[in-house]
Amino acid sequence: MVDIIRATRAGPVHLVVLALIMLVFAVGVYTSDRFATPLNLAGVQDQMVALALVALAQTIVILSGGIDLSFAGALSTLCVVFAMIAGDDPQTLVMGVAAVLALGASIGLVNGAITVYLGIHPFIVTLGTSTILSGTALLLTRQPTGSVPVFFEDFLYERLGPMPYGMIFVLSLYLLVGAMLWKTRFGTRIYAVGDNEAAAEISGVPVRQTKIAVYVLSGLLAAVAAVYMTGRFGVGDPRAGVGFDLRSITPVIVGGTLLAGGRGGVLGTFLAVVLLALLGNVLNFVNVPSAYQWIVEGLIIIAAVSFFARRAR
Amino acid sequence: MTQALLAARDLSKNFGPNAVLRGLEFEVHEGACVALCGENGAGKSTLIKVLSGLLAPSSGHVEYLGEKRDWSGPRESLDAGIAVVHQEFSTIGALSIAENILLGAEPLTRLGLIDRKALNARAKALLDSLDIALPPKKLVDSLSVAEKQMVEIAKALRSDARVLILDEPTAVLSQNETTHLFRLIGELKARGMGLIYVSHRLDEIFQVCTDITVIKDGVVTANGPVSSFTHDSVVSAMVGRELGDMFPPKGTNSANGEHVLEVRDLVVAPGVPPATFHVDAGEILGLAGLVGSGRTELARAIYGADPGPGTVLLMGEPLVRRSPAGSIEAGLMMLTESRKDDGLFLESSVARNFTATTPGLGAHHANIPPGFEERRALAMKDRFGVVVDHVGLPISALSGGNQQKVLIARLLENRPKLVILDEPTRGVDVGAKAEIYRILRQLAHDGVAILVISSELIEVVGLCDRVYVMRHGELARELTGAEITEEAIIAVAAAETARTTGGLHHG
Repeated sequence: MVDIIRATRAGPVHLVVLALIMLVFAVGVYTSDRFATPLNLAGVQDQMVALALVALAQTIVILSGGIDLSFAGALSTLCVVFAMIAGDDPQTLVMGVAAVLALGASIGLVNGAITVYLGIHPFIVTLGTSTILSGTALLLTRQPTGSVPVFFEDFLYERLGPMPYGMIFVLSLYLLVGAMLWKTRFGTRIYAVGDNEAAAEISGVPVRQTKIAVYVLSGLLAAVAAVYMTGRFGVGDPRAGVGFDLRSITPVIVGGTLLAGGRGGVLGTFLAVVLLALLGNVLNFVNVPSAYQWIVEGLIIIAAVSFFARRAR
Repeated sequence: MTQALLAARDLSKNFGPNAVLRGLEFEVHEGACVALCGENGAGKSTLIKVLSGLLAPSSGHVEYLGEKRDWSGPRESLDAGIAVVHQEFSTIGALSIAENILLGAEPLTRLGLIDRKALNARAKALLDSLDIALPPKKLVDSLSVAEKQMVEIAKALRSDARVLILDEPTAVLSQNETTHLFRLIGELKARGMGLIYVSHRLDEIFQVCTDITVIKDGVVTANGPVSSFTHDSVVSAMVGRELGDMFPPKGTNSANGEHVLEVRDLVVAPGVPPATFHVDAGEILGLAGLVGSGRTELARAIYGADPGPGTVLLMGEPLVRRSPAGSIEAGLMMLTESRKDDGLFLESSVARNFTATTPGLGAHHANIPPGFEERRALAMKDRFGVVVDHVGLPISALSGGNQQKVLIARLLENRPKLVILDEPTRGVDVGAKAEIYRILRQLAHDGVAILVISSELIEVVGLCDRVYVMRHGELARELTGAEITEEAIIAVAAAETARTTGGLHHG
C-alpha cells in the first residue's frame, strides 16, 4: 500500500483535485440533461487528448527541474510537416509519423543540448526554439495545408464503448510513463536531478545525459500530440500550437508537481487535465462566456499554488 | 611498520601560480582515525579532493594499498574503496532512504527494471550492519539533519570501502547525534577501516581520533598519535602561536561611564522577565548562554527586527522608529549569525558587497560614480587585512573569515555607535578569528560600544570586558573582570536545567 502511494506520488493534493472533479461533475449533472450523456462525455475526452499529451511531456521536464516552452512553435511545425507528408495512404502515413517523431526528438535534442552545454536557462532556450519554430511553420505555409488518410481520421473519431481511442492511448501512455518514473533508473535519476542537481552529480548520476534525454522525450511526446491533432483536423494548421506553451504548464501545477522540480508525478497531471476539461464543458452548459472561463482557470492555478505553498510551510 | 591504506607521497597541487599543497606526506592506516587539522585555506579540502580523485596532483602521487594510483575521477576511487562524506550532504529529499543509498547502483530485475524488493532489502541490511535504525522506505525529506548524515554515511559505505573521509561531520549535529556518530566511527575503526576526520573542534578530535596531522600552507607542520598533542600544541601547529595570544589585551580605561545603549524593561517574549541592562562606550559586552537561551532573540528585539514593548535608549535618546532601518539610522548596527543568508550578496563583487549599505550609495543611489566602489573597497581591504587578489572578484570566492571581515568593515562605514555581533567568528579559521578580535578591540578603543553573542566560551572569556549569562530568556547573571571564567559561565548557564550543554563548545 505504501508502495502504491509512493509509486503514484499520491498525496492530499490528489484528493482535493478528485473532490473538485466530482463537484464539477455534479454541477454538470444538475444543470443539464445533456451533460452526462455518452456523446457529451466522449466529446470532453476528445478535448483532453492533445493537452494531456503535452502536459505529460511538461510533467517529465518539470520533474527534472527544467521547463519546456517550445510546444507552441514545435506543435505548429510538427502538424504542418506531418500533414505535408502523411498524404492519402498507409505508406505515406507511416512515413509522416516517422518523420515527425524524428523531428520532435531533434527539437528536444537541441533544447536539451543548449540547456546543458551552454548552461542557459531552459526557459530562455525553449522560448527561443518555440519562436523560431512558429516562424518556420508560417514559412512552410500561411494556410492550413496537406492532408491525412481518411481511414486515420475516422479511426481517431471512433471509440471503444464510452472511450475514444485517443483517450485509451493517452491512458496507456500515462501508465507507461508512470511506470518508467517508478521502475527504471532513468526515472529515479529524473527525480534526483530535479531535486538537487549538485547532490545528484556527486552521487554519480549522469546529470547531463538525463536532462537531454528528458527534453528528447518531451519532443517525442509533442510529435505524438501533433499526429493526433492533425489527424483530428484533417489538415496541418501552422497555428495549431498557439497557446500550448503555457497551457501545458497549468495541469502540471494544479496536479501538485512543484515548478522547482523533483516533487510530483503524472497522476496529478492527469487528474488536473480531467478537471480542467470538465470545468470548461460545464461552464459552456451554464452559458458562461469563454472570457470567464479564462478567469476561472487562472483562479484555479493561483488557488492550487497557494494550497501547496501553505502546505509546504 | 604496517603498510598504509591510503597515503599521499610528496604531493603537490598548484592552482595557477598558487601552490596549495607543497610536497605533502600523509598516511592513514588500518583501524586508525586521523584528524586532519588546519586553518581554512591550509589545503585540507584540496588534499581530500586529490586523495579521492576530484583533482589530479601537480606532482607526487596518491598511494592506495601500497600501489601508486592515478584516479580518473571520484567514481574510480569510490569503486576502489575510498568513500567521502562531504560537508554539504548529497542526499536527495524526494527519494526514499533506500533509493538514496543505492542511487545509481539499484538492483535490477532481468527486464532491466528496478527490483524494489531487493533495493529495500539491501539498504536495510546495510543500515542494520551500521546499527542505524531507519526504515528504508522513508522519504529523506522527513529526516532530521543527523539522520540524513547517517544515510550519507551508509551511502558512502555501500561498496566495501576501506577508507572513509568525513569532512566536518559534526558541524550540524547536536550533542546526542554527535555521540551516535562517534559510536559509529568506533565501530568502523574496529572493523579495520581507515578514517580521515576533518574538524575544527579540538575536543572531538581528542575524543575520537587516534592520530593528528596538522597542515599549514600546504605542508605538514605536526604529525603523530593523539597522546603526543595538547589543545595548545595543535593550535600552535595550525597558526604558529599559542591560544592565549589570539586575544588582544582587554580595555584598561574601564569606560568613562557613558551609557551608549540602555535597555529598560524590554519584553522579548511572553512569560520571560523583561530585560534591563546597558552597554558603555569602549566596552565589549558578551552575551553568553546555551543555544536557545534567548540571546539572539534579545539582540533582535533591541535591533527592532522583532520589537517588543519596552524602552531602548541610544546615547540617552529613546529609539522611536523600532525597525532595522530606524536602528541603522540612529547608529545601531547588527551582524547576523548567518552571513550567507542574511549578510552577503554572494554573486556580487567584494567591492559591491562592501559598499552595499554605505549611506548615499548602494540601494539608495542610482548612479555610483565609476571607480568609487573599488577605491573604497581597496582602502577597506588594507585596513582590515582582507585577503583577496582583486576586489572585483565575487565574494563567494573568499574564505569565511575574509567574508566576515568585509561584513564587519561594511558595518563600520556607517559610523555606528553600537554594534551587535551574533556569532562573529562562526565558521572562521583561527587566524582570521585573531584578526577579528583585534578589529573589535580596536573599535572599542575608538569608543564604539560592542555587544557580542557567542557560543564559544573561550571567545567570551578572552574577548569580553563584561558578560551577561542568559538562561531561559533571562539575564541570569552579570560577570565582570576576573569573574569571567569558563567555569563560572557554564555554572550559571546550565544551572537548574538537565539539558545537555549542546551549545557550549570550547574554542
